[in-house]
Amino acid sequence: MSIAVTAPRYRSLVMPRSAIYGLLLALLALAWLASMTLGYRLYGLDQVWAALFANDGTEAATVIAGLRLPRALIAPLAGAALGVAGAMVQTLSRNRIASPDTLGLNAGASLAVVVATIVFGVQSLVGLSLAAAFGALATAVVVFGVAAGAGGLSPLKIVLVGVTFASLAHAAVEILLTSNEAQLQQLLFWLSGAFVDRPISLFFNGLPVVLVGAAIAFALASSLDAAQADDSTAAGLGVPLAAVRGAAFVSVSLLTGAAVSMAGPVAFVGLVVPHMARRLVGLQHRHQLTAAALTGAIYTTLADVAARFVIYPVEAPVGAITAVVGAIALLVLLRRRLA
Amino acid sequence: MTYMTYRPARAGIGPIGVTALVAAIFVLLFLAGIGFGSTWIPLEHVAHVLFGGGDKTERLVVLQLRLPRVAAAAIAGGAIAFAGYLLQRITRNELASPGVLGVVDGAALGVVLFMAIFSNETNSLIVSVAWQPLAAALGAISAIGLVFLLSGQQASTAIRLLLFGIAVAAVCKALTTIFMLVGPIYQASQAARWLAGAVNTINVTEIQLMLLVLVPTGIVAAIAARHLPPADLDDTSSRSIGLNLPAYRILIFFLAALLTAGAVAFAGGVSFIGLLAPHMARLLVGRARAAGIAVSILLGAIILIGADLLIRVAFAPTEVPAGTVTALIGAPYFLYLLMRKDKNNG
Amino acid sequence: MDDLAANRIEVKGLTMAYGGDVVLDALNLPIPAGRITVLAGPNGCGKSTLLRAIRRLHAPQSGQILLDAEDITRLGSKALGRRIGLLPQSPSAPLDMNVEELVRLGRYPHQAMLQPWSPQDDEAVSRAMAGTGVEALRRRRIGSLSGGQLQRAWIAMVLAQDTDVICLDEPVNHLDMAHQLDCLELVARLNRDEGKTIVLVLHDLNLAARYADNLVFVASGRIREAGNPELLMRADLIAEVFNTDAHIITDPIHGRPMCIPFRKG
Repeated sequence: MSIAVTAPRYRSLVMPRSAIYGLLLALLALAWLASMTLGYRLYGLDQVWAALFANDGTEAATVIAGLRLPRALIAPLAGAALGVAGAMVQTLSRNRIASPDTLGLNAGASLAVVVATIVFGVQSLVGLSLAAAFGALATAVVVFGVAAGAGGLSPLKIVLVGVTFASLAHAAVEILLTSNEAQLQQLLFWLSGAFVDRPISLFFNGLPVVLVGAAIAFALASSLDAAQADDSTAAGLGVPLAAVRGAAFVSVSLLTGAAVSMAGPVAFVGLVVPHMARRLVGLQHRHQLTAAALTGAIYTTLADVAARFVIYPVEAPVGAITAVVGAIALLVLLRRRLA
Repeated sequence: MTYMTYRPARAGIGPIGVTALVAAIFVLLFLAGIGFGSTWIPLEHVAHVLFGGGDKTERLVVLQLRLPRVAAAAIAGGAIAFAGYLLQRITRNELASPGVLGVVDGAALGVVLFMAIFSNETNSLIVSVAWQPLAAALGAISAIGLVFLLSGQQASTAIRLLLFGIAVAAVCKALTTIFMLVGPIYQASQAARWLAGAVNTINVTEIQLMLLVLVPTGIVAAIAARHLPPADLDDTSSRSIGLNLPAYRILIFFLAALLTAGAVAFAGGVSFIGLLAPHMARLLVGRARAAGIAVSILLGAIILIGADLLIRVAFAPTEVPAGTVTALIGAPYFLYLLMRKDKNNG
Repeated sequence: MDDLAANRIEVKGLTMAYGGDVVLDALNLPIPAGRITVLAGPNGCGKSTLLRAIRRLHAPQSGQILLDAEDITRLGSKALGRRIGLLPQSPSAPLDMNVEELVRLGRYPHQAMLQPWSPQDDEAVSRAMAGTGVEALRRRRIGSLSGGQLQRAWIAMVLAQDTDVICLDEPVNHLDMAHQLDCLELVARLNRDEGKTIVLVLHDLNLAARYADNLVFVASGRIREAGNPELLMRADLIAEVFNTDAHIITDPIHGRPMCIPFRKG
């Protein structure tokens, strides 16, 4: 309890939780509609309806069903996955600036995918997803291990370790990619996150992985609550800490791996979203994880829409937008000594 | 608060001896870097050419093809190493380097903005490329200024400062990515390479520009470095011996940013050298200041020439960016530093 | 001490070692039911380790701990959490957690995975908060509480666990005088009114003597002596265990022995 107290006395929002969830769901629906209708070309709701349910082969319908729909599905799914993973990472590491990317998990997942493709010739989407999950898991083990073994888990230090590891993974990815010009093009998106130009099969491929990861996360909800306290208290309450941490690692890896395999490494989503979720619904994980999923989905969908307009008519990489927002959020957190 | 343990210089050699040794290694590597290529030119021939002699083909190859690249590596590496030395001393933080304080990414953003703003529809620059280093410098200075502005009192805590730097760097990197798309398209792929650190595309004019920027800055910095406070003197004590620390600090940051910008503007983002070189220098010559600066610069040059050489040897014909190689060495070393149990940690 | 009181907990031949160091050495200690047992001793004597071993936070090298005549290693961790509650030294939780969320943590051992929250849980939380007087603070973030308020919130959490045995490891070390008294009076009331078995580790020998029914001196990983405070508060024993000369008087208000430590010469 040695950190300077700058957190306000009470939680900011005093609406009942059901109202908050209702609001979030409504926002998500709106965001989804925005993603379907807005972009380089603007489409009306009637055209969206027609494209989805009565596809008559017009250009509008093709664009909507073929280009807009995949990204409108992948973005929220990836956002939800990263949001939940981020919330768990922050709880597990007792560190509010931790996240799958500041701990290097995204980069590790990307590296694993690139290695799987180039070195092992993996082509199937399922294989790539598994590779991504494995990469995230391996990175989590390494980063936590390094940070724990060297003089204790200072929250700042573990993030520094994670970020450094991420730059190492990126350098390795670059070397692999520049040495394999043939696959460079198709693999370029593993270097930065994007929802655009992804086949819809990625969504259907990622969905079960995300669901499994989320299921594990929600099953761990009350254990994660207790794990927020110090180890002695948690153990005294009967929390099987080692098992809970292991299961949580697996869940985080599945969620991060799925998100990375669908969209590449999208920066800072898992950092920002848990803070928003906690502000809205408090610390109980039943609610924190739900809110993180919803907020994450809204966040990435809106970022994806913004990506289409920030430097119109060119499309900006959504990873750049989330990086700017996320980095500013990180600065705010550091300034207010909330980490 | 001391930030490093005292290590006596190697017994029997002394700082001057070590400096001479490192300088010798630098010369050898410089010559070897020029000598290596599709045809190997023996070192004596290279030296001969550099001093005005040698036959026509060799002169062509050495002076037009090979020298620019190796010279750029040497100058850029040395400049960044010097910047890293200055930053580590002034922040009393051995983890500091231009890379982690956002300087490199700020410089990159400056260059990309410059390219984006000052290009016309035919994708060529409408102002002279000579202005590019200025853009880089402005970007670098803004970034490092922002880091220190934001961190305020928290700047003295080793790790916290770095996190501010990382956040600012992330913003710069993201904005760079966005602006690369706004600017001319061919520049974007060029920029991507360049951002990772590539000295292979440099030409003689650019080298002259680099020297124009870096040599005066380096001299000013060397003079200013005489006042670098002893590592274990805090702000109040420094002031009491007549050193206006806040103002001096700003000056040093400015110079470090200029040095980095000058190097990065032409050689791209090779950040870890600014971390590695001063550390190795300290291992070799301890706290001796003049030798520390000289050896840092030489080592920086050596590392970058070496990395470039390694790329040419091991990865030919692919042009792997030099920044990638230095990152592969630098990042694990940085991790090692973080893992060590000393007063910087926590 | 009341010989007829059953022993809630029995420690038998407990040996604990870290690395090469033996911290507890074949220790035997009965802990009577419905009484306040206080473990006291010099720094490093092993009293905290003993308390944590009772709650099975560490596995012993040898020996046995019986809870109501049952070996605690036979119980699952949640099951044990429903029987013995522990407030460790320097507990911590996220500063933006509010008091209610903290107290709710105490219900963890009672929750099955798929049926998380029940009216009993709600009731237990309310009772715990009322019992410790933190009801009014339920929405306050724990980072904004004073030391005394915070400690009461933590005790509320342990209370919500609804255990028969409550262990507290140096619960008043960092509190000022008034809050020390508040906290210990609260613990005493829990013992009196609800019959809870309390095991306390206290640093302050006088507080220990005041509140203990069963005072235990721990020295070098062994029980030096255990019993009524009157029996243990003797100058020679204190000198031996605590390496300090002491003058013993009787506390005029509480009628308990008090020691005044001094240095000869």
